[in-house]
Amino acid sequence: MIDLCSDIGYKSINHYGEQLCGDHVEIVEPSDDSTVIVLSDGLGSGVKASILSTLTSKIISTMLAEGMSLEECVETIAATLPVCSVRGVAYSTFTIIHLIRNQTAEIIQYDNPHVIAIRDGQIWDYPKTESNIGGKTIYKSSVRLQENDIFIAMSDGCPHAGIGISYNFGWKRDDIAEYMLSASYGGYTAKTLSTMLVDECDRLYEGKPGDDATACVVRIRKRVPMNLLFGPPSNRDESDRMMSLFFSKEGKHIVCGGTTSTIAAKYLRKPLKASLNFEESDIPPTAEIEGVDLVTEGVITINRVLEYAKDYLGDNKLYETWSFKKDGASQISRLLFEEATDINFYVGRAINPAHQNPDLPINFNIKMNLVDQLSKCLIKMGKKIKVSYF
Amino acid sequence: MKVTVCIGSSCHIKGSRRVVEQLQYLVKENNLDDKVELCGTFCMGKCQQGVCVTVDDEFHSVTPETVPEFFDKYIKAKV
Repeated sequence: MIDLCSDIGYKSINHYGEQLCGDHVEIVEPSDDSTVIVLSDGLGSGVKASILSTLTSKIISTMLAEGMSLEECVETIAATLPVCSVRGVAYSTFTIIHLIRNQTAEIIQYDNPHVIAIRDGQIWDYPKTESNIGGKTIYKSSVRLQENDIFIAMSDGCPHAGIGISYNFGWKRDDIAEYMLSASYGGYTAKTLSTMLVDECDRLYEGKPGDDATACVVRIRKRVPMNLLFGPPSNRDESDRMMSLFFSKEGKHIVCGGTTSTIAAKYLRKPLKASLNFEESDIPPTAEIEGVDLVTEGVITINRVLEYAKDYLGDNKLYETWSFKKDGASQISRLLFEEATDINFYVGRAINPAHQNPDLPINFNIKMNLVDQLSKCLIKMGKKIKVSYF
Repeated sequence: MKVTVCIGSSCHIKGSRRVVEQLQYLVKENNLDDKVELCGTFCMGKCQQGVCVTVDDEFHSVTPETVPEFFDKYIKAKV
């Protein structure tokens, strides 16, 4: 069971005309083996709702992470939330998914649409128990996790999508479940699934959402290791050591960089075959070495991957570009964002004298910065990252 | 005849894509498909002189602007 891990992704759209979202998703990892996800929907929309939901999700995630009981969390929220001057209540809903050792999920729900669960390719009606804490009806569940389980938490902006426009009574939860079930067969990541759901809501609202809508998806999957080699070692005598460490690792191997791939080809005693197909006009073509899963150019390609990574964590608008294209950057993006869960970076610190020309946008500092930023993005995607420098 | 164009980072920025596209076009237009093999390579280690091109192991420094001249002199004349 230890080889399971969770892929978590979420996306929100704002109430039409609002700059802030009244829904908030907070993810904390109090320890290596536990993750707390809180999705909260504040009363109303705009800044007031945003404050309510942010406070709620921050308080709950922090308190639960510190091991406090649910009762105490709920009491704290009731006592802390500012009371709305118009409506005279302090109110914010929440859904909590607490993953423990990626073996058990505790799901706690208050007034949000119930979490949709998909198991074994079917919609799964997991057991819930009802309890009453401080006058609030709260549903609790505790489930053993299996590979390929998918949990979808959402704010009521999703089932309300299209009320009076596309549907008389909005997009029913059961229909959302069916929609997500068919999407789940595509093997998409949590981020992509949440994007698909929220984009469909936006479509039903005809681009003018009548409420903030948020979807947060948790996907339980097997760990997949991946290794990426980038740049030759600063001391060329280290090449063999770097290569033997890199190639001895389990999982797929990606080699980025011209000189780097020449070194890798020499180490493997295989020819390096570069292609001349410019799949994406401004990304250099890829190459092939027998025994390496993907060979690409270095800095320019990785720079593009970083662009895709930043977008993926935000609006996820460039997904339609990298999800199918054959250029190096798209291929690396698919491998790192979708396939891998544990990524080992082998970064060489050699300085390419030709790159130190001030006219070129690819000097050494930029290169080191790229690795730094990319690993930060990947960590935000929930990947485990190890970077070794040579 | 084998013509190899570097498509590494440095040469890419200096316009190797335009060099490749022009060469592909010129080779086709002159019906030299069966005589000239165009291929790519990563870094030739002479980034300062990019775009690096070799014609049967003979090194040339080419820019997108000098491709027609280079093609006439070193490829068309020699096949």
